[in-house]
Amino acid sequence: MATAGAAGSRTYSFKVVLLGEGCVGKTSLVLRYCENKFNDKHITTLQASFLTKKLNITGKRVNLAIWDTAGQERFHALGPIYYRDSNGAILVYDITDEDSFQKVKNWVKELRKMLGNEICLCIVGNKIDLDKDRNVSVEEAESYSESVGAKHYHTSAKLNKGIEELFLDLCKRMMETAQAEERAKGNGASQSASSRRGVQIVDDEPQATPAGGCCSSG
Amino acid sequence: MSQRTERRGIHVDQSDLLCKKGCGYYGNAAWQGLCSKCWREEYQRVRQKQIQDDWALAEKLQREEEEAYASSHSVRDPQSAAGHAALAPFSKFEEKKTNEKTRKVTTVKKFFSPSSRTSSKKESPEGKTPSPSISRHASFDTDQVSKDFVEFLKNLHKPGREIHKQCRAFLMNMSSKKDLGADELSECVQDFYQSLADRLTGHFKGSSESVEQVMDQVEKYIMTRLYKSVFCPETTDDEKKDLAIQHRIRALHWVTIQMLCVSMDEEIPEVSENVLKAITDVIEMDSKRVPRDKLACITRCSKHIFSAIRITKNEPASADDFLPALIYIVLKANPPRLQSNIQYITRFCNPSRLMTGEDGYYFTNLCCAVAFIEKLDAQSLNLSPEEFERYMSGQASPRFSSSDGDWPDGAQGVGVAVTNPALAQLNHNLELLSGLCSRQEAVMEAAQSLQADLLSWSESVQREVRDILEKYPLEIKSSKVSAIDTNNVDNENLPSPIKPQVFAG
Repeated sequence: MATAGAAGSRTYSFKVVLLGEGCVGKTSLVLRYCENKFNDKHITTLQASFLTKKLNITGKRVNLAIWDTAGQERFHALGPIYYRDSNGAILVYDITDEDSFQKVKNWVKELRKMLGNEICLCIVGNKIDLDKDRNVSVEEAESYSESVGAKHYHTSAKLNKGIEELFLDLCKRMMETAQAEERAKGNGASQSASSRRGVQIVDDEPQATPAGGCCSSG
Repeated sequence: MSQRTERRGIHVDQSDLLCKKGCGYYGNAAWQGLCSKCWREEYQRVRQKQIQDDWALAEKLQREEEEAYASSHSVRDPQSAAGHAALAPFSKFEEKKTNEKTRKVTTVKKFFSPSSRTSSKKESPEGKTPSPSISRHASFDTDQVSKDFVEFLKNLHKPGREIHKQCRAFLMNMSSKKDLGADELSECVQDFYQSLADRLTGHFKGSSESVEQVMDQVEKYIMTRLYKSVFCPETTDDEKKDLAIQHRIRALHWVTIQMLCVSMDEEIPEVSENVLKAITDVIEMDSKRVPRDKLACITRCSKHIFSAIRITKNEPASADDFLPALIYIVLKANPPRLQSNIQYITRFCNPSRLMTGEDGYYFTNLCCAVAFIEKLDAQSLNLSPEEFERYMSGQASPRFSSSDGDWPDGAQGVGVAVTNPALAQLNHNLELLSGLCSRQEAVMEAAQSLQADLLSWSESVQREVRDILEKYPLEIKSSKVSAIDTNNVDNENLPSPIKPQVFAG
């Protein structure tokens, strides 16, 4: 799923899911990133649940598709349907809300269990403009993130802090993962070459089949 | 759905390449893993069986028709019997592989698909010929699609011909694989998509737009042709699932917009208009044949939901708003053959569209909505288990518990209208109708008085004319003025007429 076109095309297509409890600011985060607007009456998009962004990172084109998910507890069980085949996940919590951080931990466990290490995880403490009401300590969040192989970011959608960095970093990491995957495929070159030949047999031979069909029907 | 990830890679083992009959020659996936010789034997055998089956079926149909004809003379209501007999063979013909035991369910399916019924009628005359071929499935629709496809490929010149050849070969190939399971069929189609897309990428030098364009057309062409045999096939339990979800949604008819916490205010006319459009779109999905067109219906439905939320909340809809709203729409619409459609799209849609695009996102949400509806319980609606049970069993209804619990009669109607948007709409419409009625009466009255006016006017005109005639009677006085006329040629006042003179010559 990492690369759109196989050979020749250098455009990466990534799917990123946004997970987190309701009201932690998932939507504000993407809207700020894609529209650079916050709580604005003039936001032109009809919706903020599926957004795309085109990036150019070190000369490589990247198409980012950001999938928002419903954060209400009763939809939690639907998670796997959303994060299937995604390259990255952004797990958002509210730094003033200890509970939302616990939810993030649950998500991490689930994602690692279902998708292994192929998915790039970002844990995001949002609303740092409300630092005076902080209920999740920086040390705890960062050490936890490190322990599960995720990167931790602090953002504020309101003040537009840390968001560009978050997405840029994530893209770079996803590109690395995709390239590593390609290399791994390249190492088994003989394997893939033979399988490719197999494919070509499949789609070249049918030309012979109609002839056979005609003979037997006639 | 989960097998999608495995499908991406194509694993070919050395042993897989050999003929499955174990004759030692290399086999071929196009021949179901057999070598050319074994395949020919196998194919002949299957074909013979198919031909025999077809004959048997044709005979059976003949018999049944005769029976129906005979019974139509003895049964008291001959018309309905004849009508029944005429319908039954058609539906049976299309589903000729349907076993007797599943027949009952198939009729239910037929009931939900008027399109397939009509087209099967169209096919029936051709159907008498026992040789099975793809062309038999061709109806007007598919012909049109084929024409469009050829037209489109013409612009591509040589590669276009190649693509067309590939597609034809693939369809041929598929027509011999009808007995495979749905997952195998899906795999065949997906493999075809992938190999074609790879080749196209090579050809177009990585211009993903042109590749996509061609792939869309290929999908349209192939799936229109395959639709009948691969949509809700007998080998799966799609149909059972369809009925299950249909019953489930019907049982949940009492779920209100408040229970789902949907941020749409249906009191606003624009919102309710969008809701209706969304419902229409999601229902329309079933009528499309190409997976991409079905996806487009879901996308249109989603856009209407977004508009409705946007109007209500005046801010862009997030997934937190969208998913509950979609669930509400699905509950209200109860779209026909929902599971079959979802399975069909998952199995046969071009994967690049389904996985990353906007359409894919909305489709995923629809899958989520269906999953939620299937698992929905008291907790997910913030109800107590007892309440939930009572609503499910139909002993109580949340709609009327607020308004004294009985059905609205005329006087109460206004009170209920506040709680129920449908009733509000009804009352509104009734008002409109009574307004129209009184206006109609006014128009009739005016017309009658106009008629009376017209009558009296013509009378008065006649009277006036008569009066004037009486007052000024017509007198004809002889006039002294002479006029040139043939009758008074001899008038003495006139000079003598000129006589023609003859000149010499």
